[in-house]
Parts: sequence; structure tokens; C-alpha cells
Amino acid sequence: MALGLKNVQSKENGNRRSFLKWLLGFGIFSTIASVLIPVIGYLIPPERGSTAGGGRVLVGTTLDIPFGMGKVVQLGNKPVIVINTPQGITAFSAICTHLGCIVDWDAERQLILCPCHDGLFNPQTGAVIAGPPPAPLPPVPVSLEDEEIYLGEA
Amino acid sequence: MNDQVIDRPTSLAQRVIDWMDERYELRSLLDAMLHVYVPREAKTFYLGGITLFLFFMQASSGILLTLYYQPTPDTAYNSVLFITSDVSFGWLIRSVHAWGANLMIVACVLHLLRVFFQGAYKRPREITWVLGVFLLFITLGFGFTGYLLPWDQRAFWATTVGTESAGAVPVIGDFLLNFIRGGATVSDVTLTRFFGIHTLVLPVSLAAVLLVHIVLIHQHGLANPKKPAGQVKPDEEPGIPFFPHYILDEAIAWYIVLAVLVILASLFPAGLEAKANPLETPAHIKPEWYFLSLYQFLKLVPRTVGVLTPVAAAPLLILLPFLDRNPEVAPAKRPRMIAAGVLLLLAITILTVWGHFS
Amino acid sequence: MFARVLEKLMKQRVTWIAAFVVIAIIVPGGFAKAFSAAPPSPEQGATEVMPPSPGLTSPDLAPLSQGPLARSPDESPNNCFKCHANLPGPHGGIASKWDASVHGRAGIACADCHGGNPETDEMILAMSPEAGFIGVPPRRDIPALCGGCHSDVERMRQFNIPTDQLPKYQESVHGVKLAQGDIRVAICTDCHGSHDVLKASDPNAAVSPYNVPYLCAKCHSDEALMEPYGLPTDQLDIYEKSVHGEALLGRKDIRAPSCASCHGSHAAKPPTSDEVVNVCGKCHTATQKLYEESLHARIGDAAPKCWTCHGTHDIIKPSEDNFLHPEPLVDQPCGECHVDDTTFRMEAARFESPEDRRCDTCHHPTSWVMTQIKAMKNALVEAQEAYQAAEDAIQDAAARGMIVNDAEVLLTEAHTSIIRARAVVHTTKLTRVTELTDDAKEAAIKARDLADTKLADNLFRRRAMVVVIGIIAINIVGLIALKYQLNRHSEGS
Repeated sequence: MALGLKNVQSKENGNRRSFLKWLLGFGIFSTIASVLIPVIGYLIPPERGSTAGGGRVLVGTTLDIPFGMGKVVQLGNKPVIVINTPQGITAFSAICTHLGCIVDWDAERQLILCPCHDGLFNPQTGAVIAGPPPAPLPPVPVSLEDEEIYLGEA
Repeated sequence: MNDQVIDRPTSLAQRVIDWMDERYELRSLLDAMLHVYVPREAKTFYLGGITLFLFFMQASSGILLTLYYQPTPDTAYNSVLFITSDVSFGWLIRSVHAWGANLMIVACVLHLLRVFFQGAYKRPREITWVLGVFLLFITLGFGFTGYLLPWDQRAFWATTVGTESAGAVPVIGDFLLNFIRGGATVSDVTLTRFFGIHTLVLPVSLAAVLLVHIVLIHQHGLANPKKPAGQVKPDEEPGIPFFPHYILDEAIAWYIVLAVLVILASLFPAGLEAKANPLETPAHIKPEWYFLSLYQFLKLVPRTVGVLTPVAAAPLLILLPFLDRNPEVAPAKRPRMIAAGVLLLLAITILTVWGHFS
Repeated sequence: MFARVLEKLMKQRVTWIAAFVVIAIIVPGGFAKAFSAAPPSPEQGATEVMPPSPGLTSPDLAPLSQGPLARSPDESPNNCFKCHANLPGPHGGIASKWDASVHGRAGIACADCHGGNPETDEMILAMSPEAGFIGVPPRRDIPALCGGCHSDVERMRQFNIPTDQLPKYQESVHGVKLAQGDIRVAICTDCHGSHDVLKASDPNAAVSPYNVPYLCAKCHSDEALMEPYGLPTDQLDIYEKSVHGEALLGRKDIRAPSCASCHGSHAAKPPTSDEVVNVCGKCHTATQKLYEESLHARIGDAAPKCWTCHGTHDIIKPSEDNFLHPEPLVDQPCGECHVDDTTFRMEAARFESPEDRRCDTCHHPTSWVMTQIKAMKNALVEAQEAYQAAEDAIQDAAARGMIVNDAEVLLTEAHTSIIRARAVVHTTKLTRVTELTDDAKEAAIKARDLADTKLADNLFRRRAMVVVIGIIAINIVGLIALKYQLNRHSEGS
């Protein structure tokens, strides 16, 4: 009787112990997995998306933006207007300081034009010439190497 | 006992340990490290261990972040943006790092308070306390230098405001300001400087101090919060075995902290403001919450006083075990010290809350 | 040629009169000085009694050496000021106001407008009709009095101000009525002040742009005053609520128009129907250009102009609701608009209520034009809705801590296109509008897709979080169980 009871107990104990072992094994394994999955995912280099970047970015050549012309390009995820002026290549944030429209190049007047409310900006300095914009366009560092136009600081 | 062990069929793990032990005598080292006892009365709330765990989390997530981070003003912001929005799980690593920093400071401060209120810093544990306070300062240094690295508006201006106060130190103020910023203003030099401090100087310092801190704890064992160290007889009570009992509790505590970290990082991931613009000061610049009390204090008192008070208070905190000669550890037997501690804590809390809402 | 000669002659005559007047002043002045017991030297007088007045003491702003009005040519003491500054009542105020005014600073003194002799300190002599004293000039004469100096190109050259105010004023409604003998109309001093004339660029001046609406309203909101002319008196109240009033008075945007920007100041009168496009186009250049491409611009006087749709004093921010009445209108009989088969007329009264400044007030509900209008409106509404949906999704994603910079750029593009599309409505050309609204919709949909991807990513994060928390919970349970077993084990042994 006593022997039988002890037997049952030890069997129960054995069951419990193996369950516990299984639980701890699962725990260790799942913990390692839930750490390793993000880390490995992180280590695999992603394709450089739209928000990537930094440093100098090649945005085109003087063939794309000939003398007296301007073009809006993307720098990271910000539109930037690059202009080939008589005083050299200049670049400004293309977001109008009035209501946030994207400015454009007016080749006829040789000025930066915001098409929304006719704000005009100086292509050399970004200063407001006419219209409602309250502030000049912030400049973006730009450099020219041979024919290649780079945005961002060297 | 020994015979039985030898007779048993040994597992692979056992065989590896045996192999190592034969050559390096690791078992005795491990035994010495693990087979210690924790007094039954000791209530650590596992805070020291949690801080250690968070340090490991910070170190590993920090190392991962350096794989993509670029410490120059032109690229820092975009690289952080890249990590956060393009790299898979980049948001997680960054958010864990950001939240981990906050939790680590919380754990560190709570650990200090626990030791203070239990009188655990008293003889013979003076040096352990001193090193612990250094660890807290290093942790705060991590917070301060790490905050600048994303190079967004908040980072830039919080650092500007934070470093500005160094200029109020009499005589050497200007030099100090210049030294911290690496120039008159927060600039590219500041960024590389902070990056170097954050990823090399501080981790190495912290690891070194931490190692000694832990070795000293091991030498003394944990303090008994009921009796001064001199009155505890060595074999009065065996206490709880450090391994596996205490370690097990510690592991549970770590899992809970990990869960908190995961929840915070998932529901409130680290954001990014507009790129730093030195020409445009945003409204309501404030330093991180752990510097808020200091920041608010600086606003209330004359600048020189405001800057010199923490400079004077730091040595007091460091040298506390040498200043407080009362051997008693029970709070009831050292009312003045406890009252001073509570008052200071209250003042810091009020200043922090005030700073938050002002 | 003839005009020039006449002008020369006039000038000569003026010089003669001036010389005569100068003599007339100096001679009695000299007598007065000779007869007074202790004549104070001009310097002493200046230091003792006269308050510091840069206009009177600094040599570079010395009084004009020759002029048509009664004043001495040299730097003689202004005795009018000396007495009046110390008089009780309004006189002292007048003196100090004058002292701070442009005229005080430029050395244009009391006698220049009021006549009299400022040289003598004998009250009776100074203010005698013989000395040219006229007291308060009559309202009718004031424009000419001010114009006496302000029309003189040579005299005004140093101040760099125009000299055409008098002729402009004479053409204005105010000037015409004054010439007819109506002295209730505004004259120079009503707007510029008399003793306290300040530059228009001085924010304290009543004629500074920020103050102009209130200045005009001083009379034009006065029902009793306006009643004989049959003019409304609610323009200020209406203007204050308009986009222009909001900008000028609320946001202090100096570029926003005040009354004078559209009505003119000296030549104040309402713009006429053939002027209004140019008046609004002074600032809204881009819109004017677009309007001039439209059919509306080519049908002359009967055509809808800016104010037909936007109103005048009550211009508010236009929206897509400006196209059609909320309830479709019943088609009106032909005679309502068309005189005969070929001509039609536009009565301003039909657009008085803002409710009626809509396309379907004129265009038949069943006409081909109406289908174009409806298509235009729908294109704009759809673009706006797409933009709104994208914006909401982006905001939602941002609120969940996602980085949305790339989506915001697309949203900006959509925004630009919508603003341009709204402007292009002025050309009345459907394809030009849809071109831009299509761009806007495309950008907005792209932005929305990006935001939706981010939201999906966020959902994944939350789900992953739940799984990880589950795993952690299992681990904790396992460890607790292990601890339990350990405790039992150590108790047992």
C-alpha cells in the first residue's frame, strides 16, 4: 500500500519534472530565438530606401541641369531645387516658406517661382523677391565636380 | 557521493566541463563565485542585478547601433532615420537602447536608495558605495552624451542648454564650456567628442568600475539590513544559496524588466524630430527627465550657486560612508540620516515635477 | 511749353509775395525789439524758455529760407510755442503734439499754417490780422493750405514723398464733395491729424496701415454722418472678419490690404468694375494671370470679376462650396439675365449675399458649362478627400511613433497640386484643373499607401510584442516552477 503510494508519487513527480524540463527548454530556446531573430534581421543590410542617405549625394550632371536651368531633386526625403546660375550652381530647400508648396524654376524670368501664390525667390541667395513668402528659402550645400552635381557637404 | 558521480553516465556538457576543469581548474573558481550565501533578511529587490542586466542590454543594442550610425553632423541624422525606418528591426534596437537608458538610470538610482536606506554602505562596504556612485555618474554621462547623437532638434538644443550651465562655473567656466563642447557652440566637434565618450570612454570606464564593484560585493557578501556588519556572526545562519536560489529570482526579475522594455519599445518607439538647426531654437527646450531637477534648480537660484551646489554635493554623496560614522543600519536607529535622505529625495522629486510642468 | 512759362510766372509771383510777407514780418518785429526794454538775445531765449526741440535748434533742419507762408527766414525764436506750451487747457497739449510731429521735427512751425508773427512776444502783435494771423484755418481751405507745401516738388524732394496728393484728393469723392461746399467730408487733417502729423510708417500714426481701417471707420461707421450719402456703415465689422482683415489686424501682416489698398487714400473712391481685376491683381498676380486666360475675362463689363465670386469687404477663404448652391436652383426665366438673344446683364445686387456668389447663380443647371463646373468641383473635392485620407493615415502612423518623413514629402506634393488646381479654376478650363487634381490624387494615394504600410508594420510590431510577452510569461512561469521545486527539494533533504 505504502509502496504503491510512493510509486504513484514518484511517477507524478517524474511527470512534473519532465514537464518542467520541457518548459525550461522551451523557455531558453524561445528566448534565444526572440533575441536572435531581430538581431539577425538587423544585421542584414537593407536596400537603401528613400530615407537613406547622408553625406554627399550625386543628384545629376550639368547635362541634366544646363546653364540657366533649375530642377527639383530629392535629397533624402526633402525636395531641393538645384539651379545652374551665372554665378555657379546653387541649391535651396524647395519647400516654399509660405504654405509649404514645392517651388519650381521659372526659366523665362530666371527666378525661383512658387506656383501656388506666385512667390518669387532670388536664385543666388534664396531671398524673397516678391509675393507672400515670409522668409527666404534655406540654402542646401552644393558642390560641382567636373560635370557632377553633389548635394550635402563635402 | 564522489563515487556515485563517477559511476553515472556523464552528459556532453558534463564532459566539456570536466575537460576544461582538468586543464584550468574552473570548478573551484565557479564554486567560489557561485556558492556563496545571501542573508535571509537581505532585501535587495534585485535592483543591482537589474542594473547589470540593463547594462548588458545597452551594450549589445549600442554595439548593434554603431553598425549603421555615422557620427558626423551631415550624416548622423540621416543614419538614425535610416536605422529607424529602413533597417529591419532597427526601430526595435534603437527604441530598446533609448528606453533601456531610462530604465537603467531608474534602476541605478533605486539601487542607490535601497543601499542608502538599508545602511548597506557602512563599514566594511565604503569603497563599494564610492564605486557605485561613480557608476551612477557614468550612467548619467551615458545619458547626456547619448542624447546628442541622433542630431535632431531636441538633441541639439537639449545639449546646448545642458552644456550652457557649465559656463556658469566661476573662473574656469568658459574653459569648461569650451572643453565639453569642443568649441564655443555645439557643433560637429561636439558630436564626434560625445560619440567617442559614449561608445569608448564610458563603456570601458563603466566595465572597469563595475568589475571592481562586483568583486567587492562578492568579497563581503550582501549586507544584513537588520544588524551592523560587526554584529553578524559568520555562521549564525547559512542564508539562501546565491546559486541557484537567488540567481533564479534575479532571472525572473530580468525577464520582467525585459517585458517592460519590449512593451515600451513597441508601443512608444523612439522618435526623431527635425534635423538639428543651429539657427532655429525650438520652443520649450528641456533636458531629459533625469536632469530636470538640476535644470529647474538652476532656474531658481543664481547661476553660480546653481552650478556649484551639485559640484559640492557630488563629493558629499561619494564620501557618504566616511562622513556618516554611525555604525547602526536599521532606519529607526539613524533618524537624522534617513530624514535628510527623504528630504533630499522629496526636493529632487518636486523639482523634477516642477521642471516638467514649467 | 505754355504750362511751363505759366508755372515760372507763378513761381515768380510766389517769390514776390514771399518777399513782401517776409518784410512785413521783419519790420514790425524789428520795431517790437527796438521798443522793448530788455530785448533777450535769441540764444538766451532759446536756452531759458524753449524746451529742447531738435527741429528748431539743429542747423541742418533749419526752417525753409523762402516760402509762401508767414514765417521768418532765419532761426528766430518761435514765440507762439513759448507761450502756448505753458498755457493751461488744450494749448499745452497742442504744443507738445506739434513738437513730436513730423512738422515739428522739420521746423514747420505754427505760423506756417496759422499765420501771425512768431518773432514778437507781444500777444496782440503776434496774432494780429496785420501779421497775417488766420487762427484755425477753415475746413474748406485746408487741402489747399497743406497742398501749398506738399505740391511743391522742390520742397518735398528732400523728404522723398510724393507731391500729387492735392490733385488726387480733388478727384476723390471726398475732394469733389468738398469743392461742392460739403465740409463734412474728410479733409487732410481728419486722417493725418493737424498738430500731431506723423509719418505713415510710424505705427502710432492714424494713417499707418494697421490703423487705417479704424481711421476710415471713424466716419464711415457713423450712421448719422453716412445717412445723407446713403452709404452702409458696417464695412469695418465685415472687413475685420474677412481674410484680409484677419491678416492685417489679427496677424499684423503688413502685406495684407487695408481700406486704402483698394480704394486709394487721397484719391479715395470705390474701384470700378473695369478696375477691380487690376486692383486685386496688385497682390494676386498669379491669379490675375490665370483669370485673364478665362472666357470670363473676355466678355467685358457683363463678365464676372473677382468680386462677383469673392465679394468685397467680406472676402473669406474660398472652398469647393463656392461652386454651387447647396440646393440646386430652379432655372430662371431668360429675361432675368438676357436683355435679348445676344446680350446679358449682371446686376451686382444678385451677388450681394455670399450665398449667391456661386457659378449656378448665372449658369443654367442643364447647360454644358454646368457639367464642366460640376466636373471641376468633383475633381477638386476628390483630390481634397484623397489628401485628407492620406493626411489622416500619416497622422495616425506618426501618433504610433512611426517615422513618416517620406510620406509627408508626397503629401506636400499633393498639397502643392491642390493649391495650384484651385488657382487654375480661374481659367475656367476643366482639363487644366483635372491635370493638377490628378497629380494631387496620385501623390496623395502614394502617401496614403506609404502610411498604410507603416500602420501595417506597426500592427506587426504590436502582435510581435504580444508573442514576445507571451514567451517571457512562459519563461517566468517556468522559473517560478523551478524555484518551487528547488525549495521543496531543499526542504526535503
